[in-house]
Amino acid sequence: MERGHSKQYYVFSPFLRIFHWLMVLSIVTLFTTGLYIGDPFFIGSQGLEPTYAVTGRLSMEIMRFIHFAAAYIFTVSFILRAYGFWRNKGDRLFPHFWKKQYYEDLLDVFLHYTFIKSSHKPCLRNPLARASYVALYFMVFIEIITGFAMYTMIKPNSWGAKIYGPVNQLLGDEYTVHIIHHYVAWLIILFAIVHVYMAARADFMDREGEISSMFSGVKFLPHEPVDIGDITDGKDSSVRDRKHSITG
Amino acid sequence: MDGKDSLWGLFQQRGLSRRSFLKVCMTITGILGLSPAMLPKVVSAAEQNPLPVVVWLHGHECTGCDESFIRSQSPLASDVLLNMISLEYSDTLSAAAGEPFEHHLEEVMKRYEGKYLLAVEGGVSTGNEGTFCMVGGKPFVAALKEAARGAAAVLEIGSCAAWGGVQAAKPNPTNTVAVHTVVSGKPIIKIPGCPPIPEVLTGVVMHYAMFGQLPPVDSQGRPKQFYGNRIHDTCYRRPFFNSGMFAEQFDDAGSKAGWCLYKLGCRGPETYNSCGNLRWWNGLSYPIQSGHGCIGCSSNGFWDNDHFYDRMPGIPVAKTITNADTIGLVVGGAAVAGVAAHGALSVLQKSKRRSGEHEEVGGPKA
Repeated sequence: MERGHSKQYYVFSPFLRIFHWLMVLSIVTLFTTGLYIGDPFFIGSQGLEPTYAVTGRLSMEIMRFIHFAAAYIFTVSFILRAYGFWRNKGDRLFPHFWKKQYYEDLLDVFLHYTFIKSSHKPCLRNPLARASYVALYFMVFIEIITGFAMYTMIKPNSWGAKIYGPVNQLLGDEYTVHIIHHYVAWLIILFAIVHVYMAARADFMDREGEISSMFSGVKFLPHEPVDIGDITDGKDSSVRDRKHSITG
Repeated sequence: MDGKDSLWGLFQQRGLSRRSFLKVCMTITGILGLSPAMLPKVVSAAEQNPLPVVVWLHGHECTGCDESFIRSQSPLASDVLLNMISLEYSDTLSAAAGEPFEHHLEEVMKRYEGKYLLAVEGGVSTGNEGTFCMVGGKPFVAALKEAARGAAAVLEIGSCAAWGGVQAAKPNPTNTVAVHTVVSGKPIIKIPGCPPIPEVLTGVVMHYAMFGQLPPVDSQGRPKQFYGNRIHDTCYRRPFFNSGMFAEQFDDAGSKAGWCLYKLGCRGPETYNSCGNLRWWNGLSYPIQSGHGCIGCSSNGFWDNDHFYDRMPGIPVAKTITNADTIGLVVGGAAVAGVAAHGALSVLQKSKRRSGEHEEVGGPKA
């Protein structure tokens, strides 16, 4: 609500934020080019001679090049994610399945989202969202291994094919791998729809800087968040001071 | 032929020159996909190694692989059968039949125990104690196990032997399985295809005949030199794919002009075989060249990946057939609608909460 009463909390490191936006860009690119690759359409600009058509704007070659380039950027961007995870406690979003409090918070948020409770307990990182990120990372993991399984088999004797090639065998045959890759891509888009909505809704409902936190790394909460212990350990006073700087 | 001669011995018996022997060795090196530097090894193998004894069994299958094999052009199937291997048992290619022939099989298995090459064509029916497929009065699964016991190596010829084949299609009523699920403890090589390319069949047999061992295999147990690449990556229509030029229907201009058959369900991008480079019938043609997309006949489970003329498999949903993109659009639309509805309710909830807060805040003050 009113910014004046809110405290500022530093949650997300730049590494996570850059990773997040790289992920957004590459997922949008991968999905649109992927749809073309799965069901290419002919717009008639290519002419009848493939030698020249290959340089056309909508050639499969270029679409595939963009797809593969985005795939590499996407995969490599996880280095930033891992580094942020190591550096900053706020980036460690893995849900605490082993703690009782996690389930209490989860239920609290769930009741709020189903309109049974008018608000949920203040938290820096939404427990339900954290569970959905695990699902997202799992889907992304499937996309990466199935994607590279198809991609590396262009050169069946390369080291990449030795690592990823057996995935084709594991899942039955390579055709199945194509299908899985295609379906999971749609699942990720479903996640994105709900994710964007939930972020916008959180901003609308609580004005805690949900969306801007992905740019600035900072959230504003009027009350002490229940999960404050997750990002501070009390030992590192400098971190603590930074997080608790009062804006109002 | 007593199965002990070498190829060179055979040439000498027939009074053929050393020069023509070396020519044949060069041809063999090429057909086997070996580097020219391997020629000396091929020559010495052809001089020394005895020709292998082969026992060829037929199980749950259609004999199409035999039909393919006998049309091998280089080398000629007849050359392979008569000069390069000693085919002691094959119930379709032999003139003999009946009990004496089955007796001959037993003798061969005893005499060449641990030395003969076992070629198996067809899946192995294991349902109902194997009685869905009876050969010579025995369930094929029993005959196979018996023959495999004394074999030096096993060739799985065709997709039925390698993967189970069409009779293993869902729901697989005869419970047919691939040969390697029944036979173990032997070197096994898969030569999938429905049928396999004749030159691939003879090539693998010849490799064994030359070197006395199976050729190097990929992670799925198929000979690398023949199943190393996708048909898509060796296809002469690949430039059309790269350029985004696709036949949309079997009777459109693109199809006539020989454009890529990707949108007509070609399974080339997922199928490993030599159709793109060896082609069929001595390089005459192959399915894609004759205007029909690949159906992936050498892939595991290709028989269940219908519909063959669509890029995506059809999914039967309530009396209609749809695919991943349609489902994605419908579910995505539903998600957007659901999100919008949830958003509207959230606005209501917030305004309620606001008024509640005002009362709370206002209450004590008043």
